Amino acid sequence: MDLLKRWVARQFTTRVIVLMPVGIAIDIVLGSTVQQALKLPIYLDSIGTILVGVLAGPLAGALTGILANLIWGYLLPAPIGSTTIGPFAITAGVIGLLAGLWGQLGIFRPRRGGRASIVAAAVAVVLVGVLALYTYARAYASPDQFVNITGFQTTDFDRSRLFFLAVMVVYVVLVGAALYLRRDVGAVFAIGAGLVTGIVAAIVSAPIAAIVYGGVTGGGTDALVAAFRAGGDSLYQATLKQGLLSDPMDKMITSFVVFFVIGSLSRRFIARFPNGEKALGSEPDVDSPAASES
Amino acid sequence: MIAATEVPGWGLPEYVVRRPGGLYRSTNPSTKLAIAALEVVAAFAVPGWPGVLAVFAAVLATAAAARCLRGLAVIGLATSPIVGSILLINLFLLPGAADPIARFGPLAPTWSGLWFGLQTVARLFAFSAAIALVYLTTAIDDLLADLARRGLGRRAVFVVGAAVQMVPRTIERASEIVDAQRARGLDTEGRFWRRARGVVPLAAPVVFGALTEVEERTLALEARAFSAPGRQTLLRVPPDTIVDRVLRWAAVIGLVAIVGLRAAGRLG
Amino acid sequence: MAIELLAVGYRYAGASRATLRSINLRLEPGRVLGVAGANESGKTTLCLAASGFAPGVVGGHLDGTVLIDELDTRAISTHALALHCGLLFQNAATQLSNTTATVFEEVGFGPCNLGLPVDEVVERVWWALGAVGVADLAPRDPDRLSGGQGQLVALASVLALRPRYLVLDEPTSQLDPAGTALVADALARAAAETGAGILIVEHKTDVLARIADEVIVLAEGSVALAGSAAEVLSDPRLQVLGVEPPARIRLEREVRAAGIGWSSTLAEAIA
Repeated sequence: MDLLKRWVARQFTTRVIVLMPVGIAIDIVLGSTVQQALKLPIYLDSIGTILVGVLAGPLAGALTGILANLIWGYLLPAPIGSTTIGPFAITAGVIGLLAGLWGQLGIFRPRRGGRASIVAAAVAVVLVGVLALYTYARAYASPDQFVNITGFQTTDFDRSRLFFLAVMVVYVVLVGAALYLRRDVGAVFAIGAGLVTGIVAAIVSAPIAAIVYGGVTGGGTDALVAAFRAGGDSLYQATLKQGLLSDPMDKMITSFVVFFVIGSLSRRFIARFPNGEKALGSEPDVDSPAASES
Repeated sequence: MIAATEVPGWGLPEYVVRRPGGLYRSTNPSTKLAIAALEVVAAFAVPGWPGVLAVFAAVLATAAAARCLRGLAVIGLATSPIVGSILLINLFLLPGAADPIARFGPLAPTWSGLWFGLQTVARLFAFSAAIALVYLTTAIDDLLADLARRGLGRRAVFVVGAAVQMVPRTIERASEIVDAQRARGLDTEGRFWRRARGVVPLAAPVVFGALTEVEERTLALEARAFSAPGRQTLLRVPPDTIVDRVLRWAAVIGLVAIVGLRAAGRLG
Repeated sequence: MAIELLAVGYRYAGASRATLRSINLRLEPGRVLGVAGANESGKTTLCLAASGFAPGVVGGHLDGTVLIDELDTRAISTHALALHCGLLFQNAATQLSNTTATVFEEVGFGPCNLGLPVDEVVERVWWALGAVGVADLAPRDPDRLSGGQGQLVALASVLALRPRYLVLDEPTSQLDPAGTALVADALARAAAETGAGILIVEHKTDVLARIADEVIVLAEGSVALAGSAAEVLSDPRLQVLGVEPPARIRLEREVRAAGIGWSSTLAEAIA
């Protein structure tokens, strides 16, 4: 019990308490402003949550997500305030929790490798992508066997084609961008973690969207849900599929941004957070550009 | 030395005490929350129209008395996209509906779809209005102070209070960054790919700008004994009268009763 | 009764080089010690070390000993540090708690954190506001103050905890001349009224010339010059160390260099 108390206290140092409102503000502001400016079908409302999770731990990350949703939904006036986001606090909490987990595992650590490791990473990504596409194409060509093995329905293939291809493309593009821009192999793990987070987020959100809102949130994605339902899906299946189309991509991009941000912060800043040491790359005694900032 | 402005009690100046006027507004925030919770549960758990309409009537009457009908109207307007979607989708796509109003080719709006859509919309409005009423008539300071009085720790109070204050400032900064990046050639209107490239140049400066202050704010808080143990002194707390307490308990009991009756299938 | 730094060295967590090397320093109540130095000479770090906030709040590795009233700062808990030594920074806006609606409550934030009874909090708030001279700002919104006013409110907030020492890290660097004068005056006044020992880091040596009793100059983490304010600020090595001498000294040098006589009456007229 005492150990638990200490684990909790360790995650909520004053620095973390200061970071959390910043994370919440980042969530809310990016969720409303940037999305309006760029008009892309991504939300970007988890950057703050994931950042806090990676730096400060699962509890802090989860609380940041939950509070961000509650504040955004119930404590801020329109037009900033969102009227529908409140119940999704559960999803946001899960996202923050996962981010804390990734942070503990050191997944967001920069791994600047030499040319060899970059090439190896690129080759690995391409190989995995090709393999996955091949498996999928085979399953698509002979759906009955696939159905027997996995329980998927044949009609699902038509619609999940889009999802699968889109996700693969985005993953490869993001990793490629990271490798090109910063020669940082860690991107493979960070963006992969984003993919997993996105899938989990979609699974957690689907029942909430279905039960609380009947699958409707007032955005353009409602048409998609409607289309799925018109095709015979249950409400839950329709919201799940809509979620699986947008959440993984959104979380992959979000993780990319968080990874980029963490890699650009000074070592001194990161080292002072509870999970900080796990988010730092090379040894403290090596003279890297970031270390010589004072 | 300066003489403190006189207010009965502890010598706190009036601008610190800041007690709101009006019957509903001066109700204790926790009581307002309890009443809102009762209203939300009533709107959702009581089947059919009576629950929703009763809640509507209560909320609108209270809003009129507290003079925040316009605020409610604004919130109502903000929910119109989702309302429109709900109506449309249920009108045309309610599964198992077999009583069409008319036929437009493959599209067939149904009566039961319309009915169900209207009910869902009404529930949503009741829910939003009940919560908005609390928000519109309660200062965040008061809410947090009341929760702190009931045991909410200073850390939680700080996180929520600071987040709410920080959002408008961060939005200003974000708008400046959007403008600055646009001036530098960031494409926000072009094709999908070009817009996608704009994500990092927009998101990263907002994040960095907000993060750079964390270290100094931490030191400033510690320099003001933030991590001292024990309960924080509350300079100003909303009063909690007998009436407030009675209302609060009544609301909680009502809430539990409705949930219980619904669970036992007694509400029809 | 003093803040003493004994052979103090400091290295930040995650850094490869030490920022402070073997510093010896003594600050007594009622005295004002000025600290000058080029950028990156360790001035901010010195502030953090002297107040005990390094390593207490920022982590890192401290060599040597820092004693506040004969207590090792490493043995003092974080919130207790604030009671011994107040700490102020350049940016007034980031020192606000962001949870208060009036300056009165902002200045009361510290005493409230300590759990003091309400009447004592009120008394301390009025005392601190008066000591700094900003009682008329009490009803104002802390977010809407000018830079100079913000710094004064920050000073009052810290004074409300009644520390015996004050450490200020470039409090006027973001202020215009009017704001600078405001803060310098308030500091002198607060020092007189509270009897606190003040350690003030400043680029603007004019401010130091005005309020400091002693001055030290830091270079690359060590003390390069130390002595009374008059001695150090007129030392010819200042410029080499990256510190601009006060305007009066510069003027005096120029005047003497031009062969014009410099007399004390001239000096009085300038001051």
